This record gives sequence, C-alpha cells and structure tokens, in this order.
Amino acid sequence: MNTAANVISTIARKELLEQLRDARFWWAGGIILVLMLTALLLGWQQMQLVDKEHAEARAVAYQQWLDQGDKNPHQAAHFGQYAFKPMSPLAFVDPGIDRFVGSTVWMEAHKQNEFNFRPARDATSLQRFGELTMTFVLQTLVPLVIVLLSFSAFTGERESGTLRQLLSIGVKPSQLLAGKSLAIATAIGALLLPMALLGFVALGFAENQHAGMANLYKRGAWLVLGYAIYLTGFIALALGVSAASSSSRKALIMLLAFWVVNGFIAPRAMTDLARLICPTPTKVEFQNGINEARKASFGHDETHPAFVAFRDEVLKQYKVARIEDLPISFRGLSLRKGDENGYRIYDEHYGALWNTYARQERIRAITGFAFPLAALRPFSMGLAGTDTFHQNRFATAAELYRRQLQTAMSEDLIQHHKNGDNNYVSNRELWEKIPALAHQIPEAETAIAEQSLNLGILLMWMLTTIGFAVTAARRLRP
Amino acid sequence: MLQATELTKAYNGAIALNKLNLTVNSGEIFCLLGANGAGKTTTINLFLNFVSPTGGQAQVNGIDVSKEPLEAKRHIAYIPETVMLYPSLSGLENLKFFTTLALGHKRPEHELLELLAQAGLVEDAAFKRVSGYSKGMRQKVGIAIAIAKNAKALLLDEPTSGLDPQAANEFSKLLDRLKAEGVAILMATHDLFLAKQVGTRVGIMQRGNLVSTMATDDLGHADLERLYLDIAYGYSKEAG
Repeated sequence: MNTAANVISTIARKELLEQLRDARFWWAGGIILVLMLTALLLGWQQMQLVDKEHAEARAVAYQQWLDQGDKNPHQAAHFGQYAFKPMSPLAFVDPGIDRFVGSTVWMEAHKQNEFNFRPARDATSLQRFGELTMTFVLQTLVPLVIVLLSFSAFTGERESGTLRQLLSIGVKPSQLLAGKSLAIATAIGALLLPMALLGFVALGFAENQHAGMANLYKRGAWLVLGYAIYLTGFIALALGVSAASSSSRKALIMLLAFWVVNGFIAPRAMTDLARLICPTPTKVEFQNGINEARKASFGHDETHPAFVAFRDEVLKQYKVARIEDLPISFRGLSLRKGDENGYRIYDEHYGALWNTYARQERIRAITGFAFPLAALRPFSMGLAGTDTFHQNRFATAAELYRRQLQTAMSEDLIQHHKNGDNNYVSNRELWEKIPALAHQIPEAETAIAEQSLNLGILLMWMLTTIGFAVTAARRLRP
Repeated sequence: MLQATELTKAYNGAIALNKLNLTVNSGEIFCLLGANGAGKTTTINLFLNFVSPTGGQAQVNGIDVSKEPLEAKRHIAYIPETVMLYPSLSGLENLKFFTTLALGHKRPEHELLELLAQAGLVEDAAFKRVSGYSKGMRQKVGIAIAIAKNAKALLLDEPTSGLDPQAANEFSKLLDRLKAEGVAILMATHDLFLAKQVGTRVGIMQRGNLVSTMATDDLGHADLERLYLDIAYGYSKEAG
C-alpha cells in the first residue's frame, strides 16, 4: 500500500515538474488568473453597485409611501409601493438570471405585476456578447485548460515511447492514471483554491442585510464542492479519452468536440427543446389570459352581475335592504372581495407559468448526465441565490406583502368608512402600520434541497467519467 | 529463468512467431539473430506482455507473464532499441523517476550517479535535460535504468544501436559482469560481433521460426556470419 502511494506520488511529482518546466503552462495559468481576478473584481463592483442602488431606492420608495399625505386608503392602495429584489452577495460569483429578469415590481391595487428593469435590456452590444464572469471562467475556460493539459497524457507517452518504458517496469496503468489525475488536480487546485479563499474573505466584507453570514458561507462551500465535482469529472474524462485514443490528435479533437457541445451547443439546443416540449406563453398571451379570467370578477364595475350578486348577498347577510343601512363600509367589503377573487386568478396563472419554467428546467437538467454544464449551471445559480427559484421566492414574498397591504387598506375602509361618505381619508398613522418589505434570502439548506437533483446528476456524471477513465487505462497498451 | 513454450503470435492470421521453445538460464546470454520481421521483437514483446500470445506461454522465473504480468515484470528489466525519456527532465531525474517506480522506493542520488557512470554517461550530462541528449546518451540512461532494478532477467532489443564503438565495448563488459552475477539475458540484435563476443548461445530466426540454435563456443566468428547470411539469403530469396 505504501509502495502504491509512493508510486502514485512519484508519477504526480514528475508530471508537475514537466508542467512547471513548460512555458505554455505558465501562460495558460497566468491568463486564467488574470481573467479570474478581473471577473471577481467586476462581479464584486456590480453586486455592490446594484445592492446600494436597490437599498437607496427601497428607502426612497418606502418614504414616498409614508409621505403620500392624507387620502382615501384605497387611493393609497393604488399608489402602492415598489419592491426591489435583495441582491444575493454571491451574485459576484454567479450573477445568474438577474441580468435577464427584472429586479423591481410595482405592488399596486388589484394587480400582480410582472418584474421590470432588466439590466440586459440596457446592455451595450459588447456586454450582450458575453460578460466576463467567474462562472464563465470556471464553467467554460478551466475545462478547456484541463483538456489542453490532459489530452496527450497517455497518447503522448505512447507516441514518444515512454509508455513502453513505464509498462515494462511494471507500473500499473491505474497508478499511472491516479498519478496523472493527482498532478492535474494539484495544478488546477493551485490556480483555483486561492481564488475561492479570496472569495470567502471578500464575502466577509459584504454588508448585506438580506442573508446571514453562516448562510452565505455555507452556500459558498457548496459552490466550491459543485465546481470541484464538475472539474474532477473533466479531468477524469480528458485522461480517459487520452488513454482510449490511438493518437493525441484524435484525443484533442474528441475532447474539444465535447467541450463545445457541453459549453455551447447542448445548453442552447436543450433550451429550445424545453420550449418546444413545454411552451411558455408570450407576455401578451399571459396578460390576455389573466384579463380574460378577471372578466369573471367585478373590480370597480358596479354593474357587473357578480357585483350585484355580492351586494345582494351582503345585504341579506346583514338583513338590511339598503347599503346605507349596513353597519360597516360596503365599499371596503367589495374591494376586499374583489381582491380576493383576483388572488385566485393570479395564483392560478402565475402558478402555471412557474410550473412551466420548472418543467423546462428539469428537461434541461437531464442533459447533465452527458453534458454536465446543464446540471452545474442551475446548481451554481441556485447556490448563489440568483436563479428562478430565488426570483420566484421574492416574487411570492412581494405578492404576499401586496396582499397584506391591500387587505389592510380595505380593512381600514370596512372599519372606519361610513357608507355614503365620499370624503373619508386616512393618514400617516395607517401608512406607518405597514412595515417596509424585508425579504430574507432563503437559508442555504433550502437552496441545497432545491438543487439536490442537479447535484445528484453531477455526481453521477463524475463517477461515470472516473469509471470510464479507469476502464480505458486498464486497456492501455504501448 | 526465461522460458518460452510453444509460444505463438499471429496478427490477423499472419504468423509473427511460430511455436517458439526457448530457455535462457541464469548467467546465460541468448542472442536472437535474424532479419527485420523475423520475430525477434515479437518474442521480447511477448515476454513483456505488451502483446498477448495467440498460443503457448512465456514464463519469467516460472511465472506466466500473461497471467501475472505485474509479478512477472518485477523480475525483468528491459532496454528498447531506442530508449525514450522525458525531454524536460535531466538524465538523473529520469533515472530517479523510473527507478523509484520500478523499486517502489527511492535510491540515494550518489548510487544513481554511480549507475549512470557505470553505463558510461559523463557526470556533467546527468544534470542536463534529456532534450539535448544524443541517442547514445539516452541509451546509456536506459542501461542505467535497467541495472538499477537488479532484475534477474534482462530483455534487450537492439541495445547497442546508436552507441559509439567505445560505449558498445563498455556495454559488452557490463553484460559480461551481469552474466557473472547470474542474470539471464535475452538479446535481439543485428550485431554479429556483439553476439559472438558476449553471447552464450545464439539463435537464428527466420519468419517467426527459430531455425537454428548453437553455442558460441562451438563456432568462430566467420562461421556465424556465414550461417547467418545463408539463412538471411534464403529468407530474402523466398520472400522475393
């Protein structure tokens, strides 16, 4: 056992020595290092900037709510509030879908609005071409470096004849594989682990009110684990292909083809396929659907049959003949009833839309068994707190807040408004009873549970590549 | 020590080695002679389990090499026609690497330098990168790798090709010493002079068959050359 460990470490050290004496290794490492530092810096600045903007806007918006002056509570409900999505500090590693979905929603009376303000819409064409992010480096560039470091690991030794020498002295192919894997993992680790450390240190400086430090560090640790699985799989795959190929050229072509499909073709193809299988409505279709459904409820239309039926029911309930004789505000009651009717419609329509998104995500993730980026990408966004799940969690929280605000305004009418009095107003005292929306980013455990399928797929893929590499190495002949 | 029994190898039906029976005992040097394609390298590849036999078996120290390849290789050292090393490492680093792998532990540096000196490599060169080595210098590192293992059997495939006359002479002295230490040596070579000089026995191969075996003591150099050319001539006539 001791001997085997000695053999493996001897091979790994020799591989590293060869790499260190190769100028190309220093060039590739240097470029990746500069790119990662730039990406971290840019990501950090962007995250801080947006977080600061949101915090300021949030304060201004709430102040506007408080300062809106004396008015009818329902007018105040129409005045509404703006909600700003809390920025996940880990967005500096993986900005996720934040650039493509809105971060702001107007919470007004009667309507569950969609999010607005998509940064991607304001982006220049250069930014649209692809922002430099840490995820791009880790998901796409580092695998390329692994491919370039590994493709000739076995074929090169065969082509130069050193494989004969190695096998003649009784080195086990599995030990050769282990040694080479260890060397490449060490080289990649030496490049990435300091970056991870830097990220963790930076995270300590993120002054964020939306997530606890323990939550963020846990999420960070799981991110490191996810990327470690992904990159380990890539090392195993590259070495396996090298062991199984008859020439370095063939190994390189195979690996580059895989790299392109994994990084560029499969994600796009699967997105299209998912849309084909589970089509999402266009914005207009979606709004039309809601508008159509809302026709069944009355809103402000006092001639609507449903309105008339509701009025008759209330009068009957209180055993009076006229609205003026009701002990409570009928206007408040009808507003509350109208809103409650709307909630069902919104829950149904938004629920269906989000289910479709979730189904699309599952379809995309399945590709991860072959092309792991399909599983890593959602995992990474999920742990960074920048995926659809986190977006929807915030949307749900904002909607709940909107409903509480609506109900509070209607309740105020019901309790204090006299029927027939058109000049009833409330004041700051009521506005202050509505606390500002404070959304907390879900705990790390929630995100992990949400991503367990993707993590499982990634693990399966890694184990498959390791199995492949071991099998390929076993068949190694000089 | 080295034993082939009815050892046969065919590539897609073409016989490369036909029912070879051969025993090389400890302290014996057996030289395989023959034209290119006669089956010499195939024999050595079979002993190294680089290729699997179609029939028969190859044994090292009583161990079937195709059944227990790793165990068998512990007893073998091998020097190929062209020793291939890692160009970005020095000769000494290459020797250290292969020796550690062969033995499972490190040998002290002064011993390794001593081995390189025995193989005829000047000490200065040991610290230089192999990328600047001549073929002969690489060959010397290969020889050092082989003797570092202290193997009981040595397989040599045209080991002196590329060596200058002085180095070839030193090499034959080294073989004599190993023979005296009881190593069994199987050598494929074109070098009739070397075969006559160091060989205990020679075997002449033709198209996968071992056609003739004789002890070198029984024949002079001229006899060997005539015999060899007869067979080689016969081979080329039939092939032509």
